[in-house]
Amino acid sequence: MRKLIALVGAMVVAMALVPLPAPVARAQAAAPKQGLVCTGGPSFDLTARSGYIETPDGNSVLMWSYAPAQGGFQSPGPVLCVEQGDEVTVRLHNDLAEPVSIVFPGQLAVGGTGAPGLLAKEAPAGGDATYTFTAGRPGTYVYESGSDPSKQVEMGLYGALVVRPAGHPDYAYDAATRFDPKREYLMLLSDIDPDLHHAVETGGTYDFTTLRNRYFAINGRQFPDTLQNNGVSWLPAQPYGALVRVKSYDATGNPLPALIRMANVGALNHPFHPHGNHVRQIAQDGRPLRTPDGGDATGEHFGRTVASGQTQDFLFTWKDQDSWDSQGNPLPASVASPDYRNLTFKDGDTWSSGSAYLGAKGTLPVGTASQNVCGEWYFPWHSHALNEFTNFDAGFGGMATLLRVDPPGGCAAVAASSSILAGTPRSGTVAALATADTAYYQVDSTATGTPAADWSGGFAGVPTGATGLTVTYTGRNSAAALPTTLWAWKWSTGAWVQLGAAADVGTADATITRTLPAPQTDFLGTGANQGKVRVRVLTTGTATGFLTQGNLLRLTYDAP
Amino acid sequence: MRRRDLLKAGALAAGLVVGGQALEGTAEGTMEGTVEGTVEGTARAVPGPATRIALAGTDGYITIPGRAPVYIFGFLAVPPAMSIAELTAAYKGKAQHVAPVLDLGQDRDAYITLTNLGLVGRPDLVDSHTIHWHGFRTPATVFDGVPEVSVSVPIERQFTYFYRPHDPGTYMYHCHFEDVEHVQMGMTGIVFVRPAQDGSTALDPLRRSTTYAYNDGDGSTAYDRHFAILLNEIEEREHDADEQIQEFVFTDYDPQYYTLNGRVYPQTVLPNGHPSLPGQPVSSLVQVNPGDRALLRLANLGYEQHAMQLPGIPMKVVGEDATLRRSPSGADTSYPAGTLYIGPGEARDVLFTAPPFNPSARVSTDARGSYNTYLFKNRDFRRLSNHGAPGLGGMATEVRVYRGSPLPSQSVVGETYA
Repeated sequence: MRKLIALVGAMVVAMALVPLPAPVARAQAAAPKQGLVCTGGPSFDLTARSGYIETPDGNSVLMWSYAPAQGGFQSPGPVLCVEQGDEVTVRLHNDLAEPVSIVFPGQLAVGGTGAPGLLAKEAPAGGDATYTFTAGRPGTYVYESGSDPSKQVEMGLYGALVVRPAGHPDYAYDAATRFDPKREYLMLLSDIDPDLHHAVETGGTYDFTTLRNRYFAINGRQFPDTLQNNGVSWLPAQPYGALVRVKSYDATGNPLPALIRMANVGALNHPFHPHGNHVRQIAQDGRPLRTPDGGDATGEHFGRTVASGQTQDFLFTWKDQDSWDSQGNPLPASVASPDYRNLTFKDGDTWSSGSAYLGAKGTLPVGTASQNVCGEWYFPWHSHALNEFTNFDAGFGGMATLLRVDPPGGCAAVAASSSILAGTPRSGTVAALATADTAYYQVDSTATGTPAADWSGGFAGVPTGATGLTVTYTGRNSAAALPTTLWAWKWSTGAWVQLGAAADVGTADATITRTLPAPQTDFLGTGANQGKVRVRVLTTGTATGFLTQGNLLRLTYDAP
Repeated sequence: MRRRDLLKAGALAAGLVVGGQALEGTAEGTMEGTVEGTVEGTARAVPGPATRIALAGTDGYITIPGRAPVYIFGFLAVPPAMSIAELTAAYKGKAQHVAPVLDLGQDRDAYITLTNLGLVGRPDLVDSHTIHWHGFRTPATVFDGVPEVSVSVPIERQFTYFYRPHDPGTYMYHCHFEDVEHVQMGMTGIVFVRPAQDGSTALDPLRRSTTYAYNDGDGSTAYDRHFAILLNEIEEREHDADEQIQEFVFTDYDPQYYTLNGRVYPQTVLPNGHPSLPGQPVSSLVQVNPGDRALLRLANLGYEQHAMQLPGIPMKVVGEDATLRRSPSGADTSYPAGTLYIGPGEARDVLFTAPPFNPSARVSTDARGSYNTYLFKNRDFRRLSNHGAPGLGGMATEVRVYRGSPLPSQSVVGETYA
């Protein structure tokens, strides 16, 4: 059954209901666009307060949270990152109207100040409490309210605590659990019964035996909001995204796995299903999985139930088993090119590239909008209690995010146009520059003065926010060792900028690779030249004139 | 005649669609020898002969005691040679639940063609369908069957999914289109991959079996018989709403029936293809000779976690999520289970050895002779009732251990012997 919902419209309505444009929290100041956002310690200042979150179906829900004392309201609380052995101090101020506290499951001998409470020192309404402990063994932990927990935890008084091995920010636990620090992700699972939140908001009553959760979140957001970057302005109270991005395993270029830290602060157990590849569970509740004699007991899974209050850590590697490739290892011809006239792209809006191959783009049917940048792949990661894969009554929402698999070398663009600045064309079109093969783009040098073959290739469709722009040129000349330079067009000054030193290119194909200088945005066109990058190849030479043969001109980049 | 022969002949009569045996598809060429394991990080082995399977997606009804027939969506196996028009004429409205068990081999390409026949009961509903092989490692996204990130198959259209399975074990498959609805409506089944190690008796410690759950290298997962059992729930308000052109709020989910292979006890022990259950052809009856090593291929495509027990017979979990329970360093991480927790979207491979026939225990008799009965059941006794009706029902089936060894070798997964 189709349950279409105008997400954008709903979002606008929800925002209109939320009057507070929260100031950017301290934790977000240097936040990466994606992945774990650490709030560094070992001292933390938190304020228990209330605010609103927005759900993708247009609702807004009153939440309580531990917000950064200097920032606006945010849900969930900041991710507290410390090192094993740190003397941690958490100062809690309470802006709520009832006593609150914090417990740190997994941490021992938590001391502090405040009013006596059942499980922890409490901060009375308007008052303060302090918690001190020595950060224990490395791992993923939660922190949450120890006061009236059925109400206060459900209202949102929770967050994640990450304890890293001292001196090893790239280890989850030990050398065997080393990961790529650029690919560290947290999935804080939670569930919300808006009836409780409404009762708290209006001073009504609520019977916990009637708990029926309607919203299911990762890092405080419901799908598809989970895909948005950290700290986007239109989700002011929900700063943490959950998109997972990886590249194919490469023994030299990308040898380290991603780390996925999962923590469940909800009331229910959540069975989480990663599409696309298995995840390797390495720990539970901050303890590495070991056999009784201390051996490795990690194991791979395509589904794992994270129990209420539990944490589990996973290493994740995208290792393409077959590396299907249109050139070297094509899929069987009968399935490689689906006939889209016989198929549907749901709702005319897709993350598909239209190609069966990673890193390639195909032609999508007219009228189908694509969110795909350059042939990357997307897979949903979601709760397989599918009633949680919804926003109240609308499917494809809730406790879900996407895995994004970027092409191994990043996105690649080939020149779409060419222009000769000095010299004369001999043969070949810009298409010859698409791949390193037997087709060449050939330019005869000038014959007077210092002979030069000077030409450029134009790239289009490079997305705003692309980083790591790198040019690769492969070519040869009719004479030995001709100095060759690469240049890029700087749109802001309207001038060519030389990329590094000259390299000698002789009569055999040689490759020059140059990364564009910072700030790379200067080289990416705007306005009428949106998405355009121009690269120039200048070969100067000998007394007699020569021929330049360009084989490949490619631009690679990391898409935003 | 075996089902695959029928499929080959293209002579699949409507009455036989409910046969309930595993769907092995049609093999191209002849089986070759085993394919060696592969080195990680490199392209995998060249596959053996391909398997071609044809499935259709449509609607239909299943039978649950004590209420009107339950409206479902489902997959069924269809003859590969038929045109879409012929398929529509022959099979539209004849969905089965659970979907056919798919029996595939490691490093053997699988082509699964899905035809969407549309819905007899909801002509207003023009939903597409997909096949999502749940747990398949590193698929091309176009074959992952998620309609928002790739393609789906509209009514009266076909699409062929392609897989080169390298990793043996038990998986599941389901439609991912409006999946919270289509999965609950019944578009769910088990797919498993036989290991390359199959065919060797040298590894079996008992030197009698050629079948293994995994490429264990030591015969520790050898089995004599295997059974694929899919755990599910039925939320009748959702099915009834769908039938009556109403919306169901999925966060109201609170099922009334708990099923194994789409049946509730005592339906679960009826044989495959029983005429009283035309929409539920797959039995969960486990029939074994004393001393048989039985492999239970378990998967859960309900939305709730289940606690399964087999009182009187120890269970050993040798695989989870199509992965041998063995750590990267080679440590055996298989484990005994008295109560086996299995969450939604999770799979377990469980071995047990049938105990000797015990004449002093309760003895029953069927066409194969006398047997002792053990119950494979949910420990949560609320799920052992059919919508609160008195007596045993719900998520339970019988393990029958016979006197003597009257059962012939299994020719197909989950074979039942009347």
